[in-house]
Amino acid sequence: MTWLVVISPLLAALITMLFRPLDVRRTARVVFSSAAAAMPLTLIGKVDWLSLLFAGIVSSISLLATIFSTGMYSVDWGRGQALWTRKSIYFVLLAIFWSAMLLVVLATNFGLLWFGIAATTLATAFLVGFSGEAAALEAAWKYLVLCSVGIGLALLGIVLLGRVSLEEGLDPAQALAWGAITQHHVSSAVPLASLATAIMLIGFGTKAGLVPMHAWLPDAHSKAPAPISGLLSGVLVSCSLYAIMRTATVASALGAGDSFRQLLLGFGVASIIVAGALMLVQRDLKRLLAYSTVEHAGIVALALGFGGPLGQFAALFHVVAHAFAKSAAFFTAGLVQSASGTTTLSELKGLWNGGLPGRFLLGALAALGGMPPFALFVSELLLVAAGIAAHQWIALGLGAFGIVLGFAALTRATIAIESGHAPAEPPLAQRFSPPLSRLSIGAAAAALTCAVAFAVVPWTSLGATFAAIARGIGKMP
Amino acid sequence: MTFELLILAAGAVLVLDTSTSRVVVAYVVVVAIVGHFAAASTLHAPLALAFFSISFFLKAIVAPIGIWTFARRNAAARNLRPAVDLPIRLVVVLALAFGSQYVPHVPGLAPIPMVGTIAYIMLCSFAVLVIQRNLLAQVIGLLVLSAGVTLAAVMSAPQLPEAVELGATFDALVVTFIGLTLVRAFLTHHPLLDIESLRSLRG
Repeated sequence: MTWLVVISPLLAALITMLFRPLDVRRTARVVFSSAAAAMPLTLIGKVDWLSLLFAGIVSSISLLATIFSTGMYSVDWGRGQALWTRKSIYFVLLAIFWSAMLLVVLATNFGLLWFGIAATTLATAFLVGFSGEAAALEAAWKYLVLCSVGIGLALLGIVLLGRVSLEEGLDPAQALAWGAITQHHVSSAVPLASLATAIMLIGFGTKAGLVPMHAWLPDAHSKAPAPISGLLSGVLVSCSLYAIMRTATVASALGAGDSFRQLLLGFGVASIIVAGALMLVQRDLKRLLAYSTVEHAGIVALALGFGGPLGQFAALFHVVAHAFAKSAAFFTAGLVQSASGTTTLSELKGLWNGGLPGRFLLGALAALGGMPPFALFVSELLLVAAGIAAHQWIALGLGAFGIVLGFAALTRATIAIESGHAPAEPPLAQRFSPPLSRLSIGAAAAALTCAVAFAVVPWTSLGATFAAIARGIGKMP
Repeated sequence: MTFELLILAAGAVLVLDTSTSRVVVAYVVVVAIVGHFAAASTLHAPLALAFFSISFFLKAIVAPIGIWTFARRNAAARNLRPAVDLPIRLVVVLALAFGSQYVPHVPGLAPIPMVGTIAYIMLCSFAVLVIQRNLLAQVIGLLVLSAGVTLAAVMSAPQLPEAVELGATFDALVVTFIGLTLVRAFLTHHPLLDIESLRSLRG
């Protein structure tokens, strides 16, 4: 059943291609993708809650990206000549990407998880370079080289972990399964376990965009088409952080939890400060958002590094909140780019008066800045509480400083692009041909709504569920 | 010992040489030696053997032929255009060769056979990625890294041949397929295939 859930997005994309009339194909794409997005619900009770939560994030945002793409690219399309820059291929690559991410979060061992992470590279390298322009190809190349090194190192860490498991007498079939490793309570090979999990952290951290392995991320996320940027930032980074969470669980079980958390604190603080500082000098909206992703990946790493129930809850909650806020931000940036033809901050003016996309962008940027009532405000408060509880004053202080830098950069950019008068052209919303433009705007609105709605989760019965899931991260069950 | 010396020489060629053809030959030598050890661990596992066959075909045949094809059609791609002069590259190779001999002293790594050689292959791959400016060299560097990881997997966890070979196969597929496809697309924008031309995205 799990395999059916994993391949369902790809099946949906292939079935959609059978429909010839374009209008019918668009409708079929939305219908079949919605069905594929609902498939993880069939796994309730069959996989653990952490996997199910992430499968929900992957499917919901991938569905929104598919809907967004269906609406947005009905008007304008890539002009490249290569096979992989064609529209039909785009949706197949998007579906492969979606399926690969589902494999990452539904796998029960590190072998399959790694395979899923590697498979995302296969699809997304082409999606990043989709426009076929020189800058997009450059971004795709950096993405390929750095992420290949990252997944290579992750594989190295996984086989070393396998050696630790085998030395402790685990069955070879279970040697890479985190459930078996954590139940076995192996601890006699701590140095090798520490090394293995550290290499895995560097490998998965490369894909998550943690500093100093982040160099590919701003290029790839800013040059990819907007819905793909939303998926890369909102979901792929979340999947990589999920892999780090699973590694943290195993590291704790193997007696390497303390050194692993120290590494997380280091990567987290470095990511927040470097990204926050670089956000201040960005001149492009999508690049600003991409660096914001590095910052938020750092926040999650910092929360995991703080550890404890509060830190783990903050990390998990932040991943979910960020996934929706960042995808909403990239979707709306795509709408703005489509209308104004640019994402250069100095050329964007008066977006608030320009229609819905500009107003949505304001909301998305406020969400990313951690302002109330958005869920990221809650998760950043939880992060501070976790830092205080863990008595990690230096890491907390440095992290808070980086967050303030990021907030300042986002606030400055928001004021600059939302205020003033828009150029004497029609409002943004009027430039999209109805009804398909409504699909894109609707997808962005849905993502933004989720970014607000999740803020109330800690005070509902779902909060207890989140806390229960979070308790499973970073310690033995 | 013979294999280790061969890898030492091949690694030196990868970093020192400027000819795409000779570097490809050195890469094939590394892959063939790694394949020799990997094949032994897959003989009793049919699925692993199948993955190994695909992986070896991709790494030892498809990738070199693809790279050779590019080099033959584009004169500019026949030179790897290292970013540093020969004396510095020589120092790098010596540092890698001596440095890798200390890896067995890292806690936990001593029991793994050939761990110094594994480290040398991986360090050489990083050196190729950093030093050689030709995009084809970057593809070779990634494939050498993959070969190093495969050897590490074979030596450290020989009881997991399926997982190891599946990983090796997919890694080779991703690098070969995407790498060569992107290189082909690059030719229209940057005929020199020089990494220095990929500097428009900064900051």
